[in-house]
Amino acid sequence: MARADSLAKLALAYGIHLARRRIKRPSSGLAELLETYAHDGIRALEPAERERHPRLVTCINCGLCALAAGRMGRTRLPDLAASYMRLYARLSDASSDLEVDGGVSADPDLAAATSACPVGLPLEEVAAAVRRMSLG
Amino acid sequence: MTAPGEYDVVVVGGGVTGAGVARDLALRGVSVLLLEKGDWGAGTTGSSSWMIHGGPRYLEFDWNTTKLSTQDAGYIVTIARNLVYRVVFLIPVMPHDKNNIERMETAMEVYDRFQPLKHAHPHRRLTATEALQAEPGLTPNLIGAVTMEEWGIDPHRLVFANVQDAIAHGARALNHTRVIELVRDGAKVIGVRYQADGAVAEARARVVVNATGPWSPEVAAMAGVAVRLRPAKGIHLIYPHRISNFSISAESIDGRDLLMVAHAGFTLLGTTDDDFYGDLDSVDVQEDEVDYLIQGFERVFPSIRRYRPVRTTTGVRPTLYKWRRYEDELSRRYEILDHSKQGADGFITIAGGKLSMYRLMAEETSDAVCRKLGHQAPSTTATSPLPGNESDPVPAAELAARCGVPALAVVKLQSRHGSNAEKVLDGDGASRILCRCEPVTEAELVYAARHEQVRTLADAFRRVGVAAGPCAGAACIIRSAEVIGRELGWSATQKFDAASEFVRGSWLGRAPVLNHTGWAQEELAQGVMRGLTRNRGAR
Repeated sequence: MARADSLAKLALAYGIHLARRRIKRPSSGLAELLETYAHDGIRALEPAERERHPRLVTCINCGLCALAAGRMGRTRLPDLAASYMRLYARLSDASSDLEVDGGVSADPDLAAATSACPVGLPLEEVAAAVRRMSLG
Repeated sequence: MTAPGEYDVVVVGGGVTGAGVARDLALRGVSVLLLEKGDWGAGTTGSSSWMIHGGPRYLEFDWNTTKLSTQDAGYIVTIARNLVYRVVFLIPVMPHDKNNIERMETAMEVYDRFQPLKHAHPHRRLTATEALQAEPGLTPNLIGAVTMEEWGIDPHRLVFANVQDAIAHGARALNHTRVIELVRDGAKVIGVRYQADGAVAEARARVVVNATGPWSPEVAAMAGVAVRLRPAKGIHLIYPHRISNFSISAESIDGRDLLMVAHAGFTLLGTTDDDFYGDLDSVDVQEDEVDYLIQGFERVFPSIRRYRPVRTTTGVRPTLYKWRRYEDELSRRYEILDHSKQGADGFITIAGGKLSMYRLMAEETSDAVCRKLGHQAPSTTATSPLPGNESDPVPAAELAARCGVPALAVVKLQSRHGSNAEKVLDGDGASRILCRCEPVTEAELVYAARHEQVRTLADAFRRVGVAAGPCAGAACIIRSAEVIGRELGWSATQKFDAASEFVRGSWLGRAPVLNHTGWAQEELAQGVMRGLTRNRGAR
């Protein structure tokens, strides 16, 4: 009985939906979507970011990059790739980890760190992505 | 005052339902003993999709279930603010999908009527171009998409928060304690015999609640009664990072709904849903199940194979028994069974259900218990905040600066402990980072060993997320064994064995999903942990 009732109500809702679609011009849902969830840190990736993203999350946390270069702000390079690159939504709450004396630090030698990475992680790109995400 | 070993109620099963029942009854002033054979939430609860959802699927079957589910999700979101976060689904509609975009949007329009009950936003409809702007990784073949909002939650912490609150209100709760026998007096169940650390003890109670999920038939058999379930196995793949900020749904080759869920710092891809007849204590993930999920998802998100899953989870749902219907169509409804008419008075089973409705299931079970006890107090769990939610936490950066830990570690700490995070960092433990992937401080692990019933490294994994990241413990598990061992008084051999046991257990979940990069990680882990894996069959 509940099943039949549910299907009947859905059928009615479907009819109303189709009628409404004929009358009303559809508005853009994307702008509303991104605005609604901006506060929750839910944002779209750019196509270029999406294309490169699988390469940016391959850190195996071996720690070799820490030997080749220093820190970004107060953050060790292995942590940047293994930890900070994972968390999109609330990263802006942790932006202070990437700052030194109130500003963003100068980059460490990321090219040297990248050349030391056994899985070929492009640390320059990781640093740029984390910095961008931490700014919200 | 109840004498030791005598309680009003013994609750068997420390998943979210059992913990919820214990909390509900304790808040009503009932004396409770809660027993769990493993760790809190280590069974079905922990292997869920980590979501408090309203059940839009049930709109096809029973709108009232959707209403109850969204309403209760709203209560959970309010009482466990620190544990929840918004999960926003993109539901791409593909040519030849079983539902076209108008049907999908109709379903979401109907679901929108219930969304305010759980403090969620209404859906949006996206054209194909807009959907690709929101998530460029979607296939360009899509027709369009609709969105849907649900809540993500850490089920391990949810269970433990319920246990904590039950204890705070007078309950006794023991994990790693197995019930081996139900004690009967004629037609009445009057207690349980249980075993912990090799010793057997007995507890008498006026009511015994069987909240053991898929193990319910086994426990019911101890009372000489039958509970019939149709257990359903489900697996998930875990990626140690978000793949997208949006969660994405897809249709499998056999028309089932698959979900890629963007959780706080990881992605969960699932799930399968197959009848299960095997050993509930030994549920393996098969490689064809992994292929089934990835194949289904690849259709809408082609680059999924470029990502490296780090482990799998598997569990068995305690679905109510019903003949013939296809697995997915079986409702996640629940039943409260009073076995008095079967000759086991004082014995109640709560069967079926789902994580999203755990609080309601616990309330109704507790109502049934209170009727038996002649106890009048109403449930207050819909409005009483869980531990850590009594006040707002201090800003993460402020606490980080004060305690000398990274702000990210505080963000994660607050997601587990809410406003109690300060108390954790102000304890005796060192503030240095122990697990760098998550990150987890040594202070939190010490706190977990002292105050959160952590007895094994797997318990620590569930309680604080140690070894949950990309390296799967290679960089932290030995140090974690040192810290927990120091707190629990382990010998050097016990510490080694604990680490070794964890490595073996995590290998079982990792082996089915190792790919090229996964092996690079594995070689590193094997090198670092050689002593732990040697001659143990874990390669």
